[in-house]
Amino acid sequence: MTIQGPIRPQPFSRIGKPTPRIDGAAKVTGRALYPSDESVPHAAHAFLVTSPIARGRVAGFDLGDARAVPGFLDFLCHENVGGQAKPPKQMAGGETTTTMESDRIWHDGQIIGVVLADSFEAAREAAFKVRIQTEAEPPSATFGSAGTTEEQREDEQKEDFAVGDAEMALAAAPVMLDAWYETPTQHHNAIELFTTTCAWNGRQLTIWEPSQFVYGLRGNVAQQLGIEPADIRVVSKFVGGAFGSKGGATARTAWIAIAARRLGRPVKLVATRDQGFTIATYRAETRHHLRLGANGEGRLTAVSHEGWEVTSRPSFYNVSGTETTARMYAAPNILTRVAVVHADRNTPGFMRAPPEQPYMFPLECAMDELAARLGIDPIELRRRNEPARDPVTGLAFSGRHLMTCFDRGAAEFGWNRRNAQPASMRDGDWLVGLGCAASTYTANIAASTARVTLRPDGQAQVRLAGHDIGTGAYTVVAITAADRLGLPVGQVTVEMGDTEYPPAALAAGSSHTASITHAVVRACDALLAQIATAATASNAGAFAGREPATLSLRDGHLVAPDDSSESLADAVGRISAGAVEAYAENVPDGMPADAIGKLYQGQLPILRGQKRVDMTAYSFGAQFVEVRIHARTREIRVPRMLGAFSAGTILNPTTARSQLMGGMIWGLGSALLEKTEIDQRAARYTNDNIAEYHIAVNADVRRVDVMMLPEPDGAVNPLGIKGIGELGIVGVNAAVANAVFHATGQRVRRLPIRIEDLL
Amino acid sequence: MDIVLTINGRPHHLSVEPRVVLLDALRDRIGLTGTKKGCDQGQCGACTVLIDGQRVLSCFVLAATVTGEITTIEGLAPEGGPLHPMQQAFIEQDALQCGYCTPGQILSAIACVHEGHAGSAEEVREYMSGNLCRCAAYPNIVQAVLQAAPQMDATAGPTSAETV
Ligand code: FES
Ligand code: FES
Repeated sequence: MTIQGPIRPQPFSRIGKPTPRIDGAAKVTGRALYPSDESVPHAAHAFLVTSPIARGRVAGFDLGDARAVPGFLDFLCHENVGGQAKPPKQMAGGETTTTMESDRIWHDGQIIGVVLADSFEAAREAAFKVRIQTEAEPPSATFGSAGTTEEQREDEQKEDFAVGDAEMALAAAPVMLDAWYETPTQHHNAIELFTTTCAWNGRQLTIWEPSQFVYGLRGNVAQQLGIEPADIRVVSKFVGGAFGSKGGATARTAWIAIAARRLGRPVKLVATRDQGFTIATYRAETRHHLRLGANGEGRLTAVSHEGWEVTSRPSFYNVSGTETTARMYAAPNILTRVAVVHADRNTPGFMRAPPEQPYMFPLECAMDELAARLGIDPIELRRRNEPARDPVTGLAFSGRHLMTCFDRGAAEFGWNRRNAQPASMRDGDWLVGLGCAASTYTANIAASTARVTLRPDGQAQVRLAGHDIGTGAYTVVAITAADRLGLPVGQVTVEMGDTEYPPAALAAGSSHTASITHAVVRACDALLAQIATAATASNAGAFAGREPATLSLRDGHLVAPDDSSESLADAVGRISAGAVEAYAENVPDGMPADAIGKLYQGQLPILRGQKRVDMTAYSFGAQFVEVRIHARTREIRVPRMLGAFSAGTILNPTTARSQLMGGMIWGLGSALLEKTEIDQRAARYTNDNIAEYHIAVNADVRRVDVMMLPEPDGAVNPLGIKGIGELGIVGVNAAVANAVFHATGQRVRRLPIRIEDLL
Repeated sequence: MDIVLTINGRPHHLSVEPRVVLLDALRDRIGLTGTKKGCDQGQCGACTVLIDGQRVLSCFVLAATVTGEITTIEGLAPEGGPLHPMQQAFIEQDALQCGYCTPGQILSAIACVHEGHAGSAEEVREYMSGNLCRCAAYPNIVQAVLQAAPQMDATAGPTSAETV
């Protein structure tokens, strides 16, 4: 069965029309249940004990004072439960640090014990009263620290490229730009904390935990504990922000499950904000050596991008955004290389636009620098280097409208009012700078499944183990099903975030909408096929003897092309007085047939836009930023941002706009505020709270304009859906840096850009 | 110790240790989980409730010290009844994404209006900056506050809790 796409709008259809979130009412009334909100009677409370040193071993615990705390129940550590769980499997990068499996300490803040008590307060008090003895070794914190080791990244999941001879072309280039750039450690800091509640009922384990991939978490905990996935249920109906941090399984879950089994009662963990910095992942700091060769007209002759990324001792996790930067501009000679640097740190992981956010920063700054060097407008420079095909593989792009984004964005932003001369625009005491940069993100899609039921009264229900992490996924599923079933959105209820439902892919990599809506369409079409077959097979009714494939659901009716129709009460009621149900799987073209089997096992079968063999699939955008820098204090303000994006079919402009806007504000925070500071000697995060780790607050954000350009891309997938979750953030950091240069003439190549950089 | 908390117009009798903060009393003892824990250290605003109409960080208040009328997100609109204008405005302006900061934002926004700090976008941005939103719905939050402000009857007190 093939999907007939693009979706044909019907009278009730809300495809592409602004639609309020269907879960909005639950969220504004406090009725939306996030995992730690679930009432689990008689739960004991857990409090984590974490390592005070970054490298060495646990020598022992003195529990005398902890045990004396009224309400104390139990203490778990490597000595008593270490052999009961294996470390979670990583979604990328091989091995990871262990926690309580042994006495080994890999990083500061590592989980080394779990205190259990009758109340949260008692657990916390007892945890603070656990005396920890350690044997410490000197740790290595980050780039430049003694004791780190560097290794070239293997070509396993990520590729390096060598097209032509970049070294020779750079040596011969009439104009060459050669610069180093740095991006800092950053933490997701979703407002919801990392929580886990576990309860056993005989062999059956229920886990309430915020997750971007409930089947993945289930599969992982099953392998950690050595039990069957089918014996585990993961519930995560609402997620209070994730941004990548709740995608992979972390160590905590298995330990809380073990704690609940030992106690014979449910256990609830709400990790603290500071623990969140070390018990989950983060965006690692990166360094880049970027070289561009160009001729006098600004046509690139060579692009060389080398990256270095920090990771933990055992992991080779890396994001290798060079896979994207190599494809941005038409250059006959391309060289990319990525190395990882092992330090005594927790293992990094996905954080919003994992590869593109840190790697597009150097490229998009370098393009701006080259433009300034050549006296060419930065948008014009990009136009001169717009590739007709993927410069690495020679494949066609599935839709590449980067210059349309720049042109439409520039017109709206007023780019033509920019005086090209740096430090030339001023408004009273404020230096004014305008900057721009390109955004891009791979168009990804994963295998997924869905189940749809339809009742004779026209009420439909869609169930799938998808995830709404704030993206509006509940709403786009409802919109899609309503369109396909010919119903108003209000007649569709959507249930997600539970392994009781058929599996959906990981909600990450801007892939979720594409992944789940294709499965929903297939399920709706399978449901229609049942109804149509029954209608045409019946001796009575308007459609007796007709061809079932000609019928469709529209306007609450089953209809034929000649407009003859039958009510749902009749059409559905013919089959059942209860409901008709259909389950369907979607395996995107180009993926192996065993994808669904893998998905059920909690693995992630995903087709990435840069790995396709039929085309190269990306979405694109242009970011524009106005900065104002106070002439004397050097205070930096951003009164205006504008993003113009081309990202395929937009199912719901309301939620899409919010997501793109949120991404742009993340970019702003990333450019000017966010940095996890590391104590070099202790290899410890020092600002591990959200008063000192600065994220953008309301007063930091002024005008943010989002333009969504129509882009029918029928090639990328049948519904033409690309992703938007990360497109908003990419390039903003470079646009800000470029605007700062324009305002001041000072080029800052290290993020975040702060007052002290401009003195 | 035995205490009585008046929450959304109803008395709640409970026995708590003196160290229990209002946030944990609401969530763990009383089952009002609409109030969220985002940091437990007064930094994020997710735990904002109203006490006698004033916005308060419930993670920073010992439950046993509270004598005033507490309003939580659950108390703004009767079950099945019309939403408070601020709740409605948050939906209409899409002033939320994950929704985790939202109860705190809404209670803070109601207080912001009653304090007289919702006169302009500029003012709203400033006086709503104690409530972090990592999804960064800020521009929409500002629009929601400006939309709801004129609809809220300034004389009716901080909330419609008394009608619950
Ligand atoms: S939980 Fe109270 S301010 Fe964050
Ligand atoms: S809506 Fe997610 S933190 Fe505000």
